[in-house]
Amino acid sequence: MSKDPNQEIPKWKQDFPIEQKEATHVSRREFAKFLTLLSGALAVGNTAIVVKSLAFPEKPLIGEHPICLESQVAEGESFQFEIEGSKTIPYLLINLGEGEWRAFEQKCTHLSCAVKYRHDIGQIECPCHKGYFNARTGDVIQGPPPRPLPQLEVVIREGQVFVKAQTV
Amino acid sequence: MSDFRQSQNEAHPNKTNTLMTGIILLLILFVTIQIWFLFGALNNALQENLNFAITTAVGSLVFAFASFWLLRYLPDPIKKRKKK
Ligand code: FES
Repeated sequence: MSKDPNQEIPKWKQDFPIEQKEATHVSRREFAKFLTLLSGALAVGNTAIVVKSLAFPEKPLIGEHPICLESQVAEGESFQFEIEGSKTIPYLLINLGEGEWRAFEQKCTHLSCAVKYRHDIGQIECPCHKGYFNARTGDVIQGPPPRPLPQLEVVIREGQVFVKAQTV
Repeated sequence: MSDFRQSQNEAHPNKTNTLMTGIILLLILFVTIQIWFLFGALNNALQENLNFAITTAVGSLVFAFASFWLLRYLPDPIKKRKKK
């Protein structure tokens, strides 16, 4: 053909030599490579979790922490407090009556909703998805939470309530 | 001149397709299992069960290497062959 090929293609098209269809086309090879990349990224993420928990282990609570006066929390009532550590964790202090006290983390082990103590049924309730915990042991009674609530030990001395890490 | 590869391709025109599909399916399988692992490990991070995290991390790495290794078997793009 003697025709100048540039003549046939309009100027605006010459400026964009890649067709739109081509530009958005993902070949199967590219897709396979993308999947491989994704696989690598997932492996890196999984490793990062291990590295993080090895490098920054969570420190256990040290020492006793004064919370409130014994008289401030009536029987069947609960008291909310926070302890500042490597991160601030909200806790729930419960007066079960008859001198029995308990302190649990207030974050539900399911999706971290705030749990509350219900004295009428003697259980800890998570209102989000109706999870119930044993108010004495923190064990899961019903619902989606996968693990018991972490517990602190309560010490009462001279009318003052202290908490400390549980000695197993 | 036709070489072995070319005559193979002519005799079995679907082979590239099958290979490609097989590899992609395998990759999808790997990635799915890895997502499962990661999900488990994240859940487990709350529980501080380090053994599980380590196991899934190793498994995930193995799968990642397997996927990279699978890429070796990607059939050449047809375009390249024509250019030769
Ligand atoms: S967050 Fe507590 S049951 Fe779902």
